[in-house]
Amino acid sequence: MTHVSVTVDDGHLAALDGVVQGLRARGMQVDQVLDSLGIITGSVAPGAAGGLSAVDGVISVDEQLGVQLPPPDAPVQ
Amino acid sequence: MIEPSGPGVPGLVRHGAVGPLPRTTGRQIVVLADAGDDRPVDWARVGLHSVADSRDFADGDVPPQTLQDAEATVFSALGIAVVAAEPGQLGLLQTAGAGGRPVLSVSPELVHRVLTGTPRDVGPYAAGYRDGVADLAGRLLAPGAPPATAGPARFEDTVQATWGVQAVRADASAATGRGIRLAVLDTGFDSAHPDFAGRTIVARSFVTGEDAQDGHGHGTHCIGTACGPRTPATGPRYGVAHEAEIYAGKVLGTDGSGTDAGILAGINWAVTSRCPVVSMSLGADVMQAHPPYSAAGRRALRQGSLIIAAAGNNADRRAGDPGFVGAPANSVEIMAVGALDQALEMAYFSARSLPARGGQVDIAAPGWEVYSAWPMPTRYNTISGTSMATPHVAGLAALWAESTGHRGLELWATLVQESVRLLQPSVDAGSGLAVAPHGGVAA
Repeated sequence: MTHVSVTVDDGHLAALDGVVQGLRARGMQVDQVLDSLGIITGSVAPGAAGGLSAVDGVISVDEQLGVQLPPPDAPVQ
Repeated sequence: MIEPSGPGVPGLVRHGAVGPLPRTTGRQIVVLADAGDDRPVDWARVGLHSVADSRDFADGDVPPQTLQDAEATVFSALGIAVVAAEPGQLGLLQTAGAGGRPVLSVSPELVHRVLTGTPRDVGPYAAGYRDGVADLAGRLLAPGAPPATAGPARFEDTVQATWGVQAVRADASAATGRGIRLAVLDTGFDSAHPDFAGRTIVARSFVTGEDAQDGHGHGTHCIGTACGPRTPATGPRYGVAHEAEIYAGKVLGTDGSGTDAGILAGINWAVTSRCPVVSMSLGADVMQAHPPYSAAGRRALRQGSLIIAAAGNNADRRAGDPGFVGAPANSVEIMAVGALDQALEMAYFSARSLPARGGQVDIAAPGWEVYSAWPMPTRYNTISGTSMATPHVAGLAALWAESTGHRGLELWATLVQESVRLLQPSVDAGSGLAVAPHGGVAA
């Protein structure tokens, strides 16, 4: 599975439920609906992320980035 | 303000030890009390009867002839008047007994001119330049001269305060961050740390299978810098906003790793919790701005939350590699922080601005050899990084949020406006060193 963050446009911030339904219909497993930010996170089958862009109200579908801090004893963090 | 030296003579240029004084017109510029006060000024009290008001002209466009003819011209949108009078004459408007709209200050009107270098002006500049170069060459070529880059350290840790707290002037500020919620999204917090006993702390974990306790140290260190106490039981002061309410969001696990899902969930929590300041000492070394962070930053600002993020540590300036600002700091809607050393020069690892929109370093703060809190029993640790510079700025943002009431983009502008400019490239240091407000809370 590919972990993705789906960004919703300003016009659909008040109607996130409809966007979530559209994403689920295209195979996304929705983990979080971040209503203050208009972002929906979750996962899709590899190669299926592109199809999420077709859902009405979606402006961007991005594979999630990872962040890694140096170990606690590193002088520069 | 009325100067005790009396009115300037129109057109007079006097030369003194510090160079020519500015030319004045003989008219006065009067600044009226807040624009919300719409009462007219009691001009008759000081003998002025011919008064023009910009509201009487279409689009507030006052013709030059009116400025010449009227004794006083009031620019209503600015709350400023140009008055043909002696300053002493206008002093009455500032006295307690004056009716009408109060006057804040009276200053002589200056003559401004286009800034061009005339041959007469170039001489002193060229001479100063010549002398400066000669002096520098003399120092560098003298036997045993130190290398030009090794300037003396300007700040150092003392028994009272860390060099960083001193450099950002937190120890000289009356602001404390009281009443301001400051979110730090990191590896959590050591809730058993004795330096934070009695503080308001809200901790939340967005990492699956882990509670909000800090199993790494990075989060406790960052919270210490942003919110540590004014007078720790032992050692110097290391925290900026010592009365801020701490919102510790764990978005990075004990192993120091995390993903967008947890970080965005943490931002959503901070925004929903009405935190005016969100500190994120984390990032990924990618050059492109990441759309979810841009949207999150923009929507957070709109709701009164300013996200402040580390520019990144991917530079190695010792080897000539300036690095680049990574995500999320390279989103235009997120403030990116570079790291300074004790001489207020860039730390070798501090990332440089990208040419793309949003990829710039916005401001700088102490990020070299920063002493702060660490999970018990270690208690304190000294480490370096743009991660350490970021919570200095977050703490300062809380002080400004408290003292001005500003939020969102206005708070961003205040930090940049008030920062101290440095002799560092703007691509590295942005607007310069973030500093604390001088005084306390505005009435």
